[in-house]
Amino acid sequence: MTTATQEPTAIREQSEESILSVRGLETHFFTDEGIVRAVDGVDFDVKPGTTMGIVGESGCGKSITAKSILQIVEAPGRIINGEISYNPSPGERPATDILQFDANGSRMRSIRGGEISMIFQEPMTSFSSLHTFGNQIDETLRLHTNLSKQERFELGVDWLARVGIPNPTQRMHEYPFRFSGGQLQRAMIAMAMCTNPRVLIADEPTTALDVTTQAQILDLLQRMQEENDMAILFITHDLGVIAEIADEVTVMYLGKVVESGPVHNFFDDPLHPYSRALLTSIPSMFTSSRERLPSISGSIPHPLNRPPGCSFHPRCESFISGVCETREPQLDSVNEEQEVSCFLYEDR
Amino acid sequence: MTSESAQNGNGRQPLLDVRGLVKYFPIKRGFFRRTVGTVKAVDDVSFDIMSGETLSLVGESGCGKSTTARSIIRAYEPTDGEILFRTEEDESVDLAQLSLTEMRPIRRQLQMIFQDPFASLNPRMNIYEIISEPLLVHGIGTSDEREDRVAELLRLVRLRPEYMRRYPHAFSGGQRQRIGIARALALNPRLILADEPVSGLDVSVQAQVINLMMDLQDSLGLTYLFVSHDLSVVKQISNRVVVMYVGRIAEIGTPQELFDSPKHPYTAALMSSVPKPHPSQRTKRYVLEGEVANPANPPTGCYFHPRCPFATDQCKVEVPPLVESKDGRFVSCHRADEIELTTN
Repeated sequence: MTTATQEPTAIREQSEESILSVRGLETHFFTDEGIVRAVDGVDFDVKPGTTMGIVGESGCGKSITAKSILQIVEAPGRIINGEISYNPSPGERPATDILQFDANGSRMRSIRGGEISMIFQEPMTSFSSLHTFGNQIDETLRLHTNLSKQERFELGVDWLARVGIPNPTQRMHEYPFRFSGGQLQRAMIAMAMCTNPRVLIADEPTTALDVTTQAQILDLLQRMQEENDMAILFITHDLGVIAEIADEVTVMYLGKVVESGPVHNFFDDPLHPYSRALLTSIPSMFTSSRERLPSISGSIPHPLNRPPGCSFHPRCESFISGVCETREPQLDSVNEEQEVSCFLYEDR
Repeated sequence: MTSESAQNGNGRQPLLDVRGLVKYFPIKRGFFRRTVGTVKAVDDVSFDIMSGETLSLVGESGCGKSTTARSIIRAYEPTDGEILFRTEEDESVDLAQLSLTEMRPIRRQLQMIFQDPFASLNPRMNIYEIISEPLLVHGIGTSDEREDRVAELLRLVRLRPEYMRRYPHAFSGGQRQRIGIARALALNPRLILADEPVSGLDVSVQAQVINLMMDLQDSLGLTYLFVSHDLSVVKQISNRVVVMYVGRIAEIGTPQELFDSPKHPYTAALMSSVPKPHPSQRTKRYVLEGEVANPANPPTGCYFHPRCPFATDQCKVEVPPLVESKDGRFVSCHRADEIELTTN
C-alpha cells in the first residue's frame, strides 16, 4: 500500500445548515492479521428533518460509520481520526465535535440514546431477553429525562401505542420473546424515539423483515420524522428502500465514500461506475421477467487485501490503466449538488 | 399411478404435480411430550411444475414456502397429500408414498441449492470432495471419471477447474454459491429446489448467480422450484409464481399477471409493499395492517380476512377454495371476480 505518496485528505468546510457533519472519519480495526481500515476517511452532512441514505454492501464500513458517531465501536476497532460536528440548532449556535467527548463520559452518554439514538438491524437480538420491555424503555427514560416512575411508564405505553403495538399497557410487562419480529422492530423504534432525538441512526432497520412489515416500518419512520422534524441517517444495501425514503444518498465502497448527492440525481444520473453498476444489476419489479441483467464482475475484496489505488478498479468497467491502480481518487464536487471520487471526473 | 389432471393447455405433462400437500408439526409440552396442538405449516397446497419451467413460492416468513419445498424432497415427512413426480423413465411416482430406500434413486433427480453459502459447504472438505460426494454416494464413475466430471461442472458454473483442491474458505460468497450449484448439478438432476439461493449474497453478486441459474436452465433443460421472499428476484427468474399465506395458496399466476392485475387482496398488498425503484415513483404506500396469522391458531374462514379490506361475513366462516377464475388464473378468494385491485 502506497501510504508515502498519499496526501492527507483536506478536511472540507462544514456546511452551516447541517445537524450532523462527519469529516475525515477513520475507524480502523487492529486485528492479529493486520489493520483493517473499515472506515477510511468518510465525509457527509445530514440536514435537520431530512433523510440521508448510506448505501453499500457488506464490508463497506456503513455500520461502523454509524457506530463511530455514537462511539460504540467494539474492540479491536478504534476511531483514529476525524471530526463529528453535532449541532442541534444549526445556524444559531456553533457545532460541537462530539468525537472529542469521552466515550464513557456523561456528555456522550446524554447524547447517545438521547439526542442521537439508533435502531439496529436485528431486532431479535438487540433487546435483553431477561428484562420486560417496560423495564428496558424505563432504563432509557431514567437516563435521559427527569420524569417520575409513573410518568415514565405512561410515556412508554404512549410510545408503544404510537408505533402501533396493540394492548400497550399489557405489553409493557411482557418479555421480548413474546413480540414478533415486526413488533420488536417497532418496539425498538419506540425506545429510540421516546427521548425525542434530533438524529435517528437506522442501521438496516428493515433488512430482517418481510416486505409488508418493511412498508409498515418505513411508513412509521416517515411519520415520526414529520412530527418531530428529526434527521434520519438510514443505512441500507437496498436501493429500493433508498428510492422510497432518502433525500440524499452517500454511496460507500470499502470504507470510502465514492459518491454523494441528492436522491434524484443519484437515480437519474449516477456518476461513479460502482453506483451505475449497482443500479443496473439489481432486479426490480419493473425489469421484465427472464431478462438477463448486467452483472458486476468479481466480488468485494477481502478487507485485508484492499486493491491499491481506487479500490473498485479490479471490478470497474471504466478502468483507466496506469491511473486507477496507482493513485487514489479523492471525493470532489462535480456540479453544485453531486460529489464523486473517480478519475473519470478529474478534469471537470 | 398416472396423473389425470396433469394435462396442461400445451399438452405437456408436469414434471411435478403436488396435490393437497399437508404438513402439520405437533406442538409438544411437558415431561411426557404430550401433543397440545398443531402448527399447520402447509395446509392443502396444490400446484404443478412443467418441465423446463421456473416456479417460485413466495410469501412472508412462516407462510410455509420452505416447508413445502422440504416436504417435496422428503426432508420432512408430509402429513398428507400426493407429490407426483415424473421420473427419467417417464413414470409418475408419488414421492409421499415411497419408503426412504425407494426414495434414494429418485433423489438423484431432485437436488437442492441452499440459502447460506457459508454454512452449506463443509469447511474441511476441498471443492473436489464437496462436488464429487454425490457421485461417490451414488457409486458413479471411477476416481478419474469423477475428477473429470468435477472439472466439467466447475467450468459449467464458470469457476476454474484448477481450484478443485482448494477449500471453501478461499472463495467468496458468490463463488461458494456457484460451488453449491455445481454440487447440485453433479447427478444430472431434473428438478432443482432452490431455497433463497441469492438471499445471502451481496447485491452486486446476486445478478451473477441469477444469470448463471437461468443460463444453466436453458442449456441443461433444468426445472426449478424457487423459494424466495425477494419479489424482485422472483419476478426476474420465474415463469409462474405461487403466492402463499399461512400455509395456503392465495394465488397462482405469471409474475406479470400478479404484479399488474392481482386477483387476491393479499397479492395486491404484497406487490404494493415492494419499494418502487425510482424516487419519482413514490406514492402513498398501501400498508397492510396487523400481523401475519399464527399458523398454530389461525383465524376461521379465510386466513387473510382479519387484515383484508374487502372481507365480508362469508370470508369469516368459509375457507375459500383455490379455483380457476374466468380468465384462467388460480385464486382463493370469495370475491376475486368482484373486486378491483391495483398495486400502486
